[in-house]
Amino acid sequence: MKSRILQFLVFVAIVSIQTSFAQDAVVRGKVVDGDFNDVLAFANIVVKGTTTGTTSDFEGNYELTLAPGSYTLSFSFVGYQTKEITDVNLSPGQEITVDVTLNSSGVLDEILITTTLSKNSESAVLSFQKNSVALLDGLSLESIKATGASNIASAVKSVPGVSVQGGKYVYVRGLGDRYTKSTLNGMDIPGLDPDRNTIQLDLFPTKILENILVVKSATADQPADFTGGVVDIVTKDIPGKAEYSLSLGLGYNSDFHFKSDYITQPNSGTDMFGFDDGLRSNPIAAAQQIPLPQQNGEVVSTLTRLFEKDLAAQRDQSLMDMNLSVTAGNQFTVGDDNKLGFFASVSYRNETKYYDEYVNGQIFRKDEADKSNFNLLLDRGQSGQLGNNNVLISGLLGTTFKTERSKYSLNLLHIQNGETENSIFRQVNGIISSNQVKKDNLTYVQRAVSNALLSGKHSFLEDGRLEVEWKLSPSYATIYDKDFRVTPFRVLTDPETGEESFVIEPSESGDAGRFWRDLEEYNLPGKIDVTLDHKLFGREAETKIGGAYTFKNRVFDVTRFSFPFLNFQSVNLGGNPDNLLLDPNIYDSSTNSGVFVRKDSSDSDKFDSDTSVMAGYFSESFKVQDWMRIILGVRFEKFDLVYTGERQDGSRFDDTKILDKSDFFPSANLIFDLDSETTAKIRTSYSRTTARPSFKEASLAEIFDPISSNTFIGNLELQPTYIDNIDVRFEKYGEGGDFFAISGFYKSFDDPIELSFIRRAYGQYTPLNLGDAEVFGGELELRKRLDFIPGMEDVRLITNISIIESQQNYSDDEREGRLDNLREGETLDDTRQLQGQSPYLINAGFSYDSEENGWQGGLFYNVQGKTLQIVGAGDVADVYTLPFHNVKFNLSKTFGESKNSTLSLSFDNILDDDVESVYQSFGAEDQLFSKWNPGQSISLGYSLNF
Amino acid sequence: MKKFQLLSLLLIVLLSACNNDDGGTIIPVDDDPDPVNNVLTGEITSDFTLTSDIIWELSGRVTVTSGATLTIEPGTIIKALPGTGANASTLIIARGAKINAVGTAAEPIIFTSIADNIGVGQTAGSNLTENDRGLWGGLLVLGKARASLSGDAVENQIEGIPASDSNGLYGGTNDADNSGMLSFISIRHGGALIGEGNEINGLTLGAVGSGTMISNIEVVANVDDGIEWFGGAVNCSNLLVWAQGDDGLDIDEAYSGTINNAAVVLGDISDHGLEIDGPAGSLEGQFTINNLTMFGNMNTEGGEYADYRDNAMGNTQNVYATGFKASSDVELDNNGVAQQFLDGKLTFSNWVINLPDGVGAANEIFVEKVACIANCDDGDPNNDVFEDKIIVNPSFTERAANWASAGTSGGADLSAFSWTYASSKGAL
Repeated sequence: MKSRILQFLVFVAIVSIQTSFAQDAVVRGKVVDGDFNDVLAFANIVVKGTTTGTTSDFEGNYELTLAPGSYTLSFSFVGYQTKEITDVNLSPGQEITVDVTLNSSGVLDEILITTTLSKNSESAVLSFQKNSVALLDGLSLESIKATGASNIASAVKSVPGVSVQGGKYVYVRGLGDRYTKSTLNGMDIPGLDPDRNTIQLDLFPTKILENILVVKSATADQPADFTGGVVDIVTKDIPGKAEYSLSLGLGYNSDFHFKSDYITQPNSGTDMFGFDDGLRSNPIAAAQQIPLPQQNGEVVSTLTRLFEKDLAAQRDQSLMDMNLSVTAGNQFTVGDDNKLGFFASVSYRNETKYYDEYVNGQIFRKDEADKSNFNLLLDRGQSGQLGNNNVLISGLLGTTFKTERSKYSLNLLHIQNGETENSIFRQVNGIISSNQVKKDNLTYVQRAVSNALLSGKHSFLEDGRLEVEWKLSPSYATIYDKDFRVTPFRVLTDPETGEESFVIEPSESGDAGRFWRDLEEYNLPGKIDVTLDHKLFGREAETKIGGAYTFKNRVFDVTRFSFPFLNFQSVNLGGNPDNLLLDPNIYDSSTNSGVFVRKDSSDSDKFDSDTSVMAGYFSESFKVQDWMRIILGVRFEKFDLVYTGERQDGSRFDDTKILDKSDFFPSANLIFDLDSETTAKIRTSYSRTTARPSFKEASLAEIFDPISSNTFIGNLELQPTYIDNIDVRFEKYGEGGDFFAISGFYKSFDDPIELSFIRRAYGQYTPLNLGDAEVFGGELELRKRLDFIPGMEDVRLITNISIIESQQNYSDDEREGRLDNLREGETLDDTRQLQGQSPYLINAGFSYDSEENGWQGGLFYNVQGKTLQIVGAGDVADVYTLPFHNVKFNLSKTFGESKNSTLSLSFDNILDDDVESVYQSFGAEDQLFSKWNPGQSISLGYSLNF
Repeated sequence: MKKFQLLSLLLIVLLSACNNDDGGTIIPVDDDPDPVNNVLTGEITSDFTLTSDIIWELSGRVTVTSGATLTIEPGTIIKALPGTGANASTLIIARGAKINAVGTAAEPIIFTSIADNIGVGQTAGSNLTENDRGLWGGLLVLGKARASLSGDAVENQIEGIPASDSNGLYGGTNDADNSGMLSFISIRHGGALIGEGNEINGLTLGAVGSGTMISNIEVVANVDDGIEWFGGAVNCSNLLVWAQGDDGLDIDEAYSGTINNAAVVLGDISDHGLEIDGPAGSLEGQFTINNLTMFGNMNTEGGEYADYRDNAMGNTQNVYATGFKASSDVELDNNGVAQQFLDGKLTFSNWVINLPDGVGAANEIFVEKVACIANCDDGDPNNDVFEDKIIVNPSFTERAANWASAGTSGGADLSAFSWTYASSKGAL
């Protein structure tokens, strides 16, 4: 195997040497309109002192082929500043990119700005951010590479105000999935979690990315249903020239890999490709009636025999992490001036984790009888070993056809993910039950997202003043929890010998069970935007109007079985789950004894729900002074929610319209330029946004969830939340990507929705509108080259700090539950923080990037403050996630004759910190809810561009 | 909009050919049960009578709602459909509703499974035994008496019923509340699962008031407890539990009534004879168990006499226990309940034990246990820190000599149970 890899590398090296040796050099790039954050079409690009030149196309792109030499390029457009870039040095065959932003001159005098090429290295993302109407933070692929993040969830953490919960779910400004929206190329995508609306961002590999944009203030052209932010994943665009790349990576963690006691389950032949080949399919047809053994023993034993017999977690050797990706892109000229381009990417990632000491799901309670007892009492202790393997495959194919005035794109994306997690836990129960339990847990989750984006962009009138853009972006997402298996044995210890025996006792530890849980969602979003550039008050202005329609359908279903027995001694299984379904143990009607299958799920555990949003908007962006831009807009949205489902008592809703809301959402943005070069700005923004009940929340659902063992109860009275948002930000853009910003925000919520526990019914939850809530905070961001220190020219300090405070009212049940369980001397605050909100977020680090020697490196620190993870219910205290101090170090070296090979090395969790959540209660010592050590990992990667 | 959706769907289909392949072929089930004439489903909102001339089928959660009375004639047979969780077949007498189910020794009212081949006019079928458990749910009576609830709440939702169904509430302030009459009733083969590791009891009494009459009740082959009281003040007499999966009689939330003349016959998988918990809120209440006989079982893994836990308070007197294992005990679970004993709120008198081989004296089965208070959950049993025992000089076991003696008679008047299914099967 090793020699094969070596052979392959040699082959690749040979290919890489055979690159083109064309003598002419190429300069290409994009001209951006700094006033409207749009491309500048038909701008003039001239090589100074010559007649050689070109104009940008309707997308702002240009390309010049020049003989080697040193040039000055001049970029100009009527009514705009002219920019000259000096010191453009071209060596034979070199291809460079020069992106330029032009701002309107405002006055009739032409303004000339001259800068050198090296100082014009402002990244496209930063320029987009600078020129954006809305308040947004961008993350370019370059900066993601610098942090060494392999998926979007870990990359997006470095954006100010963004935190990630559980490595998957993004919170912006302390606001979680209800208030934070994830979009793909600006369009809605399905969520992949029964309890959440947003998608897990760890599903998206960075390989498919152009950049990530986090929009924090609303404008009329954005959907109204976000408050914290929109995380927009922008997939790779078509390259201007032929680009092929290959990269390989390996990751090693001494705690996880090459462990002989790693825990797994029998694999299907296709697990390594992120899906199950049918091994874990439910063998029982949905309409199959399962009789009692006393009714029809023959049928029940036949049905029982249909199930796979593997119920025990297996020990096996763990392998190390690996990843592989291949990309290809090119652009061809078709006909006279038409261009056809494509980009394709396939990536594969396989990661393994193993925790030999994994504590999770412990329960501690307050002493209900004695309020002077501050100690938390152990109700359930749970710890054991856990193994996890995650396979992620993604494929992206983008094609673009461009004529002089139109562009059509079709992007196809498929993400396939298979994750198996297996564990052996010991449970010690003390209060609700009193026993010891051993559990083998086997899980497999198969996720898939498919998206097809069809879009077009057309420009009309002279200079492309009228632009029409449309997008149609259907997606289909599935999440199949396939054959989750739990086999609980009660552990009995002989008091004299200490010897353990294992029995299955339904009323103590539950029956052996397995379940399948399916969620399928399709989204059909479409939108059209029309932009017209015109003059207002003698200055450049822009009118935008548009419409959008989004239809979503979600279908959810749980099928749950358990395996009780009759006249059977479970102690003879010896505590081995694999023995339970052995043939001799399966129910035999002749002896009326053995293990049989029983269906535990019901029709009330499923639903089918639709939502639709129909929207239209108008906005006007204009200047009243050269230094002051005003953007006013209003958006109209009509939201409908239609539900089909059944209550436990059999009452049903069939395609019943539950919500029908029509609202106007106004927004106003003011941007003040503090200097004529527009490098310093103050932005202020007001907008009204909404947060709507999700599919099952405004419903009559009574759904038992086998993972949490909680029952979810819908609320037909539930209303959307409306939020008023105010933002202020000061920004200063320096040369070479230097950047400083300080911002403040305030959000006021009317009737915020929160999932609340029901005090009189333990383990049942329902969404409620809870009075009012407020969130406010500040963010500070600094990116500074340390070129003022000799020898540190290539080092950059990158830091951002966010401070967020939230105040949420309690539900009546929660307040009473808290009051009843106050300790002596403890008082109850009027409000508490929002679940999932961190009081502070810090990112700090240094990056090093040298064009000359090809070395690139970074040392980064990330921490998120103590976060309310689980809202306590009655005598169960609140659970907080403690800060995880992560220090990462990356180093890479680009080498090879044409600098097309890169070798990279990164170290994660250098401080070897634990991931820890604790119960906290007045006067009490913290008690563990969960704890594990992610270990320290080393990754090695190689990539080749050709 | 339709065209738009069609176009989009087409794109999706092109893109994704991944579907879920669950489910095999359907095997026909020939389960042809006895013909039944009447099916009970949903809510019974006005007075209704079940007659003994036909077999009644109980399908799913059937609730008699406030203001309605369900009358059941002597000799009536109710067969329940199988199902667990939301599908479990249960009969709930909600707060404010009444049940008037008075059988006779010759014609008891029988709740059993659809799988039972018992016919009209019979008192037992022939195809099921005491080991056929969990074939349906159970009978729940919910009242408005006081219960000691967590956080001193006045009412609570009974386990297994979603909070959106207010018929699942129990508790109030009227200890004299009247939920009707239950007499000569046999509840067999129930105990369906209603939550993780949580099954329904044969007879659940949630805050049932003292105006209710409960006597001559038999629960056979229930997965969970035979009879469980959640608070309330109702007095009960002549109760028999046989071959339950968990505990025989289970008391919680400061039940303050009297149980007179009861028998628990452990089966092959039974746990405790008695499981007694204390108040969950600040409301206190003492139960009385008077004249109790417990028959042990040598096959079961558990099979303890009794477990007093969680600040339990009450009086257990005139008890006879026989046939238990040498390792079986009567335990005070932790310091909390031991303190109730020291304070005189938990008392014992006149326990006669038919000594198992290896037990020297009757008081030896009474033990004080202590709870783990530190390092309990780190997987290492060697470093656990426990409470100190608080009943010392003399110890709980030593003091038990005051009420425990060896013998072969005492406890309940078993002749009261001659009408029962258990008696006909020779379990007594």
